[in-house]
Amino acid sequence: MAHAHAAPAGTMHGVSTSTGVPNGKLGMWLFLASEVMFFTGLIGAYIILRMSHPQWPGPEGHLNVGMGTINTLLLIGSSVTIVLALAASQREEISSARGWLLLTALLGSGFLVIKGIEYSAKLSHHIVPGTNIFWACYYTLTGFHGLHVLGGILFNLFVLSRTASASVWADQRHRLELAGLYWHFVDIVWIFLFPLLYLF
Amino acid sequence: MQISQRTYVVIGIWLAGLMLLGVVLSEASGGILPLPKWGIVTIVLGLSTVKAGLVALYYMHLQSDQRVLAWIALVPFVLIALALGVVFSSAFVRL
Repeated sequence: MAHAHAAPAGTMHGVSTSTGVPNGKLGMWLFLASEVMFFTGLIGAYIILRMSHPQWPGPEGHLNVGMGTINTLLLIGSSVTIVLALAASQREEISSARGWLLLTALLGSGFLVIKGIEYSAKLSHHIVPGTNIFWACYYTLTGFHGLHVLGGILFNLFVLSRTASASVWADQRHRLELAGLYWHFVDIVWIFLFPLLYLF
Repeated sequence: MQISQRTYVVIGIWLAGLMLLGVVLSEASGGILPLPKWGIVTIVLGLSTVKAGLVALYYMHLQSDQRVLAWIALVPFVLIALALGVVFSSAFVRL
C-alpha cells in the first residue's frame, strides 16, 4: 500500500533526510534523549538515596574540589572548542576546524587524566565502591560519565581521521555536528554531577 | 541562523563564570552566607540548569534548529516528571 503522506526521501545540504531533519542528526537527538533517561535514572537514584539516608557518609574530605573545578573548566573549554570547530567547518576553513577538533580531544583527554589521578588517589586510600553508599554512587556516576567522555574522544578522533583531505571533508563534515551534539551532552551531564558530588 | 564565533566564546566565559560562582557559594555556605544549606543547593543546581540551557540552546543550536528537535529533547523530561510523580505519590499511598 502506498503511503500517501510519507515525505519523500531526499537530501538536505548534502546529507540524506526523510523528514526535513538530516537523518543522522535526528538519530543523534533520539539517542541523546535515551541518554538523558539513563543519566537521570542514575542521578535520581543518587538524590533519593541521599535524601532518604539518615546519616549520609559523604566524601569526608577525600574529594578535591580544586581538581573537580579544573575538570569542569576543561569540559566547558572543550565545548567551546568543538563548537568553534563546527563554525570553522561551515566557513570551509578545514585546517582550523581540524585544529579545534584536535584541541577538543586533548581537553577531553586531560579530563580523563585528572579523573584517573583522582581514582588512583582514592584506591591508594582503599576507597572503593564497597566502602560506603556515597563511594558506590561516586564510582557509578563518574565511571559511566568517564566512559561517555572516552566514547566522545574516540568519536572526535574518528571524525578527525576521516577528514584528512578537503574532498573527503566535504563529504564527511556533517559528522562533526553529530560529534559536537554528543560532546555537549557529555558536558551537560558533568555540569550536574560536579556540584552534586563535589560541592554538597 | 548563524551564531558568531564571539558569541560562542562569550557563552563559554559565562559558563565558566557561573560554575565558579557555584563553587564560591558552596564554599561560603554555613559561613558568611546567611542561607540554609538547602537554599545554597537550590541556587547552585539552578545555576547548573541555566548552564545546561545555554549549552543546549546555543552550542547544540536548539534555539535555531528545527522545532521537532526541541520537542525530542523535551520528551525525556516529560517522562521524568511522570516517573517522579509516581515515586513521590507512592510515598503517600500505602496499599
